[in-house]
Amino acid sequence: MQRILRGGGTGNPPAALGVIYAMETLPLNLLNGISFAMILFLMASGFTLIFGAMGILNMSHGAIYILGGYVGLTVVSHGGNFLLAVLVAAICAGFFGLILEKVFLSRLHGLLNEQVLLTLGIVYILENLFLWIWGPTAKIGTTPDIVSGSVNVGGFIFPMYRLVLIGIGAAVAIGLWWFYEKTRAGAIVRAGIDDKETTVALGINYPLVSTLVFSLGASLCGFAGFVGAPVIAIYYAKSFQVLLLAVIVVVVGGVGSMSGALLGAILIGLIDSLGRAYFPDFTYFIIYLAMIVTLLVKPAGLLGRER
Amino acid sequence: MRMVNPDIGRQAWHKQLARYAPYIMVGLLLSIVPGFMPAYLQSIMTKIIIYGILAMGLQLLWGYTGLFSIGHAAYFGAAAYTAAILTVNYGIESFWFAAVAGILVAGLIAAFFGVVALRASRVYFMLITLALGELLYSVALKWRTMTGGSDGLVGIPYPDLGLPWLTMNSGSLYYLVFVAFGIIAFLLYRLVNSPFGHILEGIRENEARMRALGYNTWMHKYIGFVVGGLIAGAGGVLLGYYSGIVVPSHVGIKTSVLAMLMVILGGERSFLGPLLGAVIIVLLEYFTSLYTPQRWPLVLGSVFVLSVMFLRGGITIYLSRLWKRMLLTWKL
Repeated sequence: MQRILRGGGTGNPPAALGVIYAMETLPLNLLNGISFAMILFLMASGFTLIFGAMGILNMSHGAIYILGGYVGLTVVSHGGNFLLAVLVAAICAGFFGLILEKVFLSRLHGLLNEQVLLTLGIVYILENLFLWIWGPTAKIGTTPDIVSGSVNVGGFIFPMYRLVLIGIGAAVAIGLWWFYEKTRAGAIVRAGIDDKETTVALGINYPLVSTLVFSLGASLCGFAGFVGAPVIAIYYAKSFQVLLLAVIVVVVGGVGSMSGALLGAILIGLIDSLGRAYFPDFTYFIIYLAMIVTLLVKPAGLLGRER
Repeated sequence: MRMVNPDIGRQAWHKQLARYAPYIMVGLLLSIVPGFMPAYLQSIMTKIIIYGILAMGLQLLWGYTGLFSIGHAAYFGAAAYTAAILTVNYGIESFWFAAVAGILVAGLIAAFFGVVALRASRVYFMLITLALGELLYSVALKWRTMTGGSDGLVGIPYPDLGLPWLTMNSGSLYYLVFVAFGIIAFLLYRLVNSPFGHILEGIRENEARMRALGYNTWMHKYIGFVVGGLIAGAGGVLLGYYSGIVVPSHVGIKTSVLAMLMVILGGERSFLGPLLGAVIIVLLEYFTSLYTPQRWPLVLGSVFVLSVMFLRGGITIYLSRLWKRMLLTWKL
C-alpha cells in the first residue's frame, strides 16, 4: 500500500488511492478514536461531576490525572499487580481531592474566580513535586499480560488493551449513570444541584456530600490517569495539556452534564484520531477548531444547559 | 457650590495632591532611580514594567469589567512574535513599524477571540479563553518555519528607534519601556475614569441592571476586551526586544497565570496594583533563581495559594488603608 501511494505511474488516480487507504485503516483509527474517547470521558467526567455538583472549576484536574498515573506506575514498578495499582491510584487521588476540598476549597465557597486561581496554584505545586519525586522522564504504562497483544476481529487486527479501555469506559459510564439515577446517594447529589437549600433543610449534611463528590471526581481522574498510562504517557509537565483536553471535551459536550461529557469525549476522540491519521499536519488544531465551531453554533455546548 | 464653602477650591487642591501623591511618587521613583542602577538591575526593572503592562491589560478585563480571562498572554505573546518575526525573519529594522504591527495583530486576535468568548456565560468564558490561549500556543509550537517552534525566535536585536544620536543599551531600553508604560498608564487611567470606564465597572457589579438601564453591555465588554488585548500587545512587543527571544510559553497559560498572580497580589481593584504585583513576582523569581531555581514553580504555586486564601483584595488594599490613615493623621 505504501509503495503504491509513494511511487507513481500505476495509472490509478490519487483520490481513489486515498479512499482505499482510508477504508483500510478506518477500523483501526475508529478504534483508536473510541478508546481515546474513553480515556477522555474518564478525565472529563470527574471534571464535569465536580462542576455540576459543586460549581467548582477544578483546574488541578489534569494534575490529579498525572498524580494517579505516577502513583499507579510506582505500585507496578514495585511489583504490584495492575488491579492493585488501579486501586491505589484511585484512592490516592481521591484522598488528595479530599484534602484539597476540605482544607482549601470549602473556605472559598461560591467564589468561582478564587477557586480557579487556587487550583491553578496547586497545579504548579504538584508539577514541581512530580518533578522532584519522579524525575523528568516520561513514563509509559505497561499493560498487564493477559490483555497485551492483539486480537483478530473480523479480519482486522486490534491491540487488545484498546478494546479493554473501551470496556472500562463503558463500565464506568454505566456505573456513574446507575449511581446518579438509581441510588439514594445519587438522588441526594441531584437534589443538591437542583435546590441546595431544600436539600439541606431536609437534613442532608451537604458539606459532607460535597466533599465526597469532590473526592469521587478526583479518584475517577486518578483512575483515568493510570488506566490511560499505556496510551498517554505520564509526564510531570502534562497537567495543563490534560486539563485542556478535559476542558475542550466539556465545552463541546456541555458543562455539568455526564452525557455531555460522554458525547463530547466521543466526538473529540474520534476527531482527534481521524485527524491524526488523515490530516496529520493539523492534528493540534482540529480539536480546537471543533470547539470553536461548537461554540459559535451552541455556546453552552451540545448538551449543556446554562447554569 | 460657592455658597457651601468658599475655600473648597483650595482644599480640593490639597486633597488632589494627596490623592495623586502615590502615583507621583512611583513615577519619580521609576524615572530617576533606574538611571543609576547597574545593568542587570535595569534589566530587572525593565522586566517588571513589561509584565506590569501585561498585568494592567488583564486588570482592565478582570478588575474593572469583571471578565475573568484565563488566556490573556495570548495577545502578549502574539504581539511579541509578530514584532520578532518582522525583525528577525524579514529584517525590518524600524522599531515603530514592528511595534505598530505587533499591537495591531494582538488587537485583531483579541477582536476575533472576543467574538467567540463573549457569547458565553461566566464559566464558559473562562474555559474558552483558556482554550483559545492554548490554541495560539500550539500554533506557535507547530509553525516551525515562522515561529521557530519550541526553540522560539532568537537573536532579536535592540530596538532601532531611528534616532542616530541614541545608542541602545539596557538603560535606554529601560527608559523606552518606562515611557511606553507611562503613556499606556496615562491613557488607561483616563479610560477607567471616563464614563466608559464607569460603565464597565457597572457591568462588573450587575450586568442585568446595566442592560435594563439601556446600555449595550456586549459592546462595552467587547471593546474592553479588545483594549485589554491591545495593552497586552504593547507589552508583548517590548518583551521581544527586552529578552531577545520569544518562545511559545510566552503565549500560553504559564505567562497568563503569571499575569493573573500579579493582578491578585497587587489588588484587582487598584490602578497601580498590577505594577506592584509585577514588582513582587519578578523580584521573587529573581531571588528564587539565585537560591533554588528548580523550586520556582513550587514557590510560585505557594504564593498563589497563600494570596488567594489570605490576601483577598491584594496588597494595595493594605497600602491604601495605610496611606489614608496617614493622611488623616496629617489632617489633609
